[in-house]
Amino acid sequence: MDAVLSGLATGFAVALDPFNLMLVLLGCFFGTLIGALPGIGPINGVAILLPIAYGLGFPPESALILLAGIYYGAEYGGRISSILLNVPGDAGAVMTTLDGNPMARNGEAGRALSLSAVASFAGGTFAVVLMSLFAPLLATFAVTFSPADYVALMVFAFASLASLVGKNPTKTLLGAVIGLMLATIGIDANTGVARYTFGIPDILAGIDFLIVVVGLFGMAELLTLVEQQVSGKLRTLPVDSSFVRMTDLARTKWTILRCSVIGFFIGILPGTGASVASAVAYGTEKRISDTEGTFGKGDMRGLAAPEAANNAAAGGAMVPMLTLGIPGSGTTAILLGALLMFNIQPGPMMFAQRPEIAWGLIASMYLGNVALLVINLPLVGLFARMLTIPQHYLTPLIAILAFIGIYTIVGNPFDLLLITGLGLFGWFLRKLDFSLAPVILGFVLGGLFENNLRRALSISGGDWGILVADWKSLTLYGLAVLVVVLPIWLARRNRPRPEGAPVGAGN
Amino acid sequence: MTLARIGTALAVAMSVAAPALAQSDIRTPECVAPANPGGGFDLTCRVAQKGLEPHLTAPMQVTFMPGGIGAVAYNMFNTTRTDDASAIVAFSTGSLLNIVTGKYGAFTEQDVRWVATAGADFGAVVVRADSEYQDLAGLMADLGSDPASVVVGAGGSVGSQDWMKGALLIRETGGAPMDMRYVAFDGGGDAIAALLGGSIEVYLGDVGEMVSHLESGQMRILGVMSPERLDEPFAEIPTAIEQGFDLEWTILRGFYMGGETSDADYAKWVDAFEAAYATPEWAEVQKAQGLLPLNLAGAELEAAIADSVARLSGVASEAGLIN
Amino acid sequence: MADRIFAGVLLAVTMAYAAIAFTAISAPFQYDPLGPESWPRILAVVALACIAGILWKPDTEALGIARQVWFRLAATVLALIAYAELYEPLGFVVATFLYGTVMALMLGAPRLRAAGFGLAAGIIGYLVCASLLGLNLPLGELVEAAFTETETATEEEG
Repeated sequence: MDAVLSGLATGFAVALDPFNLMLVLLGCFFGTLIGALPGIGPINGVAILLPIAYGLGFPPESALILLAGIYYGAEYGGRISSILLNVPGDAGAVMTTLDGNPMARNGEAGRALSLSAVASFAGGTFAVVLMSLFAPLLATFAVTFSPADYVALMVFAFASLASLVGKNPTKTLLGAVIGLMLATIGIDANTGVARYTFGIPDILAGIDFLIVVVGLFGMAELLTLVEQQVSGKLRTLPVDSSFVRMTDLARTKWTILRCSVIGFFIGILPGTGASVASAVAYGTEKRISDTEGTFGKGDMRGLAAPEAANNAAAGGAMVPMLTLGIPGSGTTAILLGALLMFNIQPGPMMFAQRPEIAWGLIASMYLGNVALLVINLPLVGLFARMLTIPQHYLTPLIAILAFIGIYTIVGNPFDLLLITGLGLFGWFLRKLDFSLAPVILGFVLGGLFENNLRRALSISGGDWGILVADWKSLTLYGLAVLVVVLPIWLARRNRPRPEGAPVGAGN
Repeated sequence: MTLARIGTALAVAMSVAAPALAQSDIRTPECVAPANPGGGFDLTCRVAQKGLEPHLTAPMQVTFMPGGIGAVAYNMFNTTRTDDASAIVAFSTGSLLNIVTGKYGAFTEQDVRWVATAGADFGAVVVRADSEYQDLAGLMADLGSDPASVVVGAGGSVGSQDWMKGALLIRETGGAPMDMRYVAFDGGGDAIAALLGGSIEVYLGDVGEMVSHLESGQMRILGVMSPERLDEPFAEIPTAIEQGFDLEWTILRGFYMGGETSDADYAKWVDAFEAAYATPEWAEVQKAQGLLPLNLAGAELEAAIADSVARLSGVASEAGLIN
Repeated sequence: MADRIFAGVLLAVTMAYAAIAFTAISAPFQYDPLGPESWPRILAVVALACIAGILWKPDTEALGIARQVWFRLAATVLALIAYAELYEPLGFVVATFLYGTVMALMLGAPRLRAAGFGLAAGIIGYLVCASLLGLNLPLGELVEAAFTETETATEEEG
């Protein structure tokens, strides 16, 4: 506990530095703006703004605080287009449309927006409090993780990914393998041999992470917008003057609490982020509270549930990222890449070696949550106006921002062509129902997986037994089996199948 | 440290000869860090930027040219910017190894002009505080009788400068580098975590990174791979040479220029560095960036580079890294 | 069908990847039993299995994109390539003006407004990013050439 308090003191000293405080606010503001743009979810928003934040040349803690603010803000902003337009910015906001949009259509847009801001705040704050308690504990414990334990952790990460993301498991797996294959390009970290570099010096150290992220997410997003383009403005519901009431909060308080817990713990699971958390939370809440069948018709609990959960999940996903170096979601994979670019290896040692960064980030999340609530309640009308930016200006703007970001890193115009190519590839993947999160997770985790496996085998002198020699590894393998089997078992139990139908055909 | 002393002595001699406040007139001086911001090359450039400030007529810019662990920059300065009089590029002993093992392409160490050093770091043999090894002799005896009995780790791949320390260690016991049980980590932080977590028994690190860990008392440095004892806070730690092993590993950090720079332009930079070496401010800047003093410029550095390249290629070819 | 075409392309790339993993990659010596080649080999095999699965049982029949949309997408990609190629020669302001205007026009903005948008994006973008935030956006080779000429001229005078 003392460690937590002194850590928080360190963190707040960093985050309350006037410059960093300003960055938290700016990050939240611009994050909300970009999150509110129709069709651009948090992951794309962070991907587009990341290189720019990086190029500004701030010290690492400041740049990360800015990015975390953007990440948080974008998660918040995503709900505006969900509620007013019925267009979710990303998978995590899909559940928000179910009751949020009906509320707005019933003439309660202001009430829906303010309620979701409060629910988001509660979920987010809950997660940060739990994070500041859990993360140092987990970090202390994780110092004892050997390379063999990391291998088990990777198996667990990919197992949770496989069972929870995507419609077609084959495509999810292939997506992850594509990411893993991209990660093998460059100099092998064990033997120093160059792989798949074809003599090009630019990729000796591997394909630049920013290029992959901006290409696969930002540029693919642009192509999707062009493809679905409807000329002119989108029809948006007006923000009225209705506002959340105390009785609303009293009515939703247990929903918010329950869903915050659900969101946080699902967020911790590697590979699953806000989308799974909000879906599970909505489903659970519907089962518990929906006695009158009002869910889906504008029930405020149906709105509060996914909002609390996806913000709690955003916080939860930071826990494995900070303590183990393993991202819990696509967006945290991007933040992890950002840390690596500053030569900061996230993981158990970060709390000991770079406390100003680990704790500064945590403290800035406390502030970010408050800042978002303060920004959002009065300014929601302004953000809502972002929705009326005509698509024909918004779309080219994405490319302009992405180009600025990528060009300013190194000043190499070839990179601009590279992101265009990757964008096209990413667009095809999306069109064919591949989820992009496994690709980016595979890309980020690929090196860790391979290197730890080979490290473990170098330590043991080639004895594969080292992989199952420790109780920590065994526990993780057990959990990996559990996350794969449990959903199947639950689905089977909940859905009595007709005679002769094959197992799992119901999905 | 003899080298440093000679360097300082020379620099003092130079500064006596030249007017005290002579500034080198270099237009738009630039230091290229061949990596992303925040890494070792960035730090190296910051030393030049701050340390040279009083000795240049214009302020120095630091720019970044990441790609291929420095290969992109090395190729650039061997093809298009060969006579760029205003730019220096940061290098380290790791870059020399990459030149030796051919990772930088066909260009050799003779294709560029070596300007000056920013400072140095030295190898360190580190164990956990509760390790059975109390001194280097015990470790070397075990490594000598069975190289595979000790799990050694460091922060770089085979053929990297971190691995080179292990190769030297095992060679000193009479073994071959291939026989050791070496685990490559991704940087020193991971390797230290593995040492503390008990996955590896010996960590081959650098002195500079150990400063923050000395106080915690979790680790013990068995020997420092420097030619002479270091100053505080390492004054108590014996060198490997003192303990009777010929183990010296100096990590140079410094700067080079394109190979076709004119002698006059090259001399401007060398003068600026030598003028800076003579000042106490330079030592401050060096220390602030975690570097130990080792000041070599001009011909001295060229000689030191030739020397270490010869040594590195010896070990590398023995290990089969060069055909 | 769309699945199969895409999987076919992936198959070709993966085959090349596998070929390199099985023939070209090797280290002079290694401390772990896997070496640099085993991991790519495993990945290649898993990828090939997945691709085979998709070829066997595709689930996306068609992309459902009209010919007109294909045309628009192709134009977008071409515009991006042109934007990338002109980034340094023309400089940020001019290249962004051209790209912004063309894209906005193509996506249905009124003519004058599209040009206004392109101009604003170029100028405001440059002012904010290059002047205010200090990012290194290209000025343009033409502009730069003009600049250095005046610079040397003034120097000669002085």
